[in-house]
Amino acid sequence: MLLEDTSEGDCLVVSLKEQRLDAVIAASFKEALLERIDHGQHNIVLDMAYVNFMDSSGLGAVVAILKHLGDKGRLRICRVTPAVMAVLKLTRMDRIFRTFETLQAAIAA
Amino acid sequence: MDSCEPLHLVVPATLLDAQAATERVVNLCGRLGIEERALYGTAVMEWLVNVVKHSYAHASGAHITIYVAAGPEAIELRIEDTGAGMAPGQFEAAPSELLFDESDLAALPENGMGLAIIKSVMDSVYYHSERGVNRLTAVRRWAR
Repeated sequence: MLLEDTSEGDCLVVSLKEQRLDAVIAASFKEALLERIDHGQHNIVLDMAYVNFMDSSGLGAVVAILKHLGDKGRLRICRVTPAVMAVLKLTRMDRIFRTFETLQAAIAA
Repeated sequence: MDSCEPLHLVVPATLLDAQAATERVVNLCGRLGIEERALYGTAVMEWLVNVVKHSYAHASGAHITIYVAAGPEAIELRIEDTGAGMAPGQFEAAPSELLFDESDLAALPENGMGLAIIKSVMDSVYYHSERGVNRLTAVRRWAR
C-alpha cells in the first residue's frame, strides 16, 4: 500500500496512491492512519484522487479513522472520485464526511 | 444497451482473487456502458469477501463460482460457494439499507455493512443453501 504524506502548515495531507481501498488493504490503511493520529497528527486531509473503487471494508477503515480522531481532530476528504462518492451516497456516509473537490479547498477549510 | 458474453469464473477463495474477479465484473459493466459499474463491482466484492472470511473462514484450497450476465434489461449476479454458509435467517435479517444515527459519531458502523450495500445496489437478492452449495442470486433491472 502506498501512502504519501505532505505537510501543509499544521495539516497533514495523506494521499492514498492506490486504485482500490478495499478488503485487501483496509486493515493496513486504517492502521497506518491511526498511527499518524496517535503520533499527534490531528488535522488530516485524505486525498482520494487515485481511488476508483471502495468497498465496505475500505469505508469502515475511513469511519474508524474519523472515530479515532473524535473531538480532538479534523478529517477532510478531497478529490473523491465518482465511484467512491457513489458508495458514500449509497451508504449515506456522504452526510458524515466533509468532502472537498480540491486539495486546496480541503486544506483551507 | 448491448449484451455481451456472460462472465463465468471459478476463482480461489482469497481476497486477492476476489479483488481480481471484481475488476473483471467492473470491466464487463464498463464494456456495456453501465454507468454505476463500480457499485455492481462493490456488490460483488462484498459478497466475495463475505464468502472468503466467513463461509470458508480463509480455508485454503476453496473456490468460488461467479456468474455475471448483463444486457439491455438487467444485470444478474450468481455466486456460489461450498463453505459453511450463513445461519438460517441471517441473510434475510440483514437490513436492506444502512441505518445509523448521524449525530452519534461513536455509533457509526465500521463493519457489517456489506449485506446492506448488496441489498441497496440490487433490486432483488436471494440467498439459498442446498446440498452443500450456498448460492447468492441478485438482479438489478434497468429503469425504463
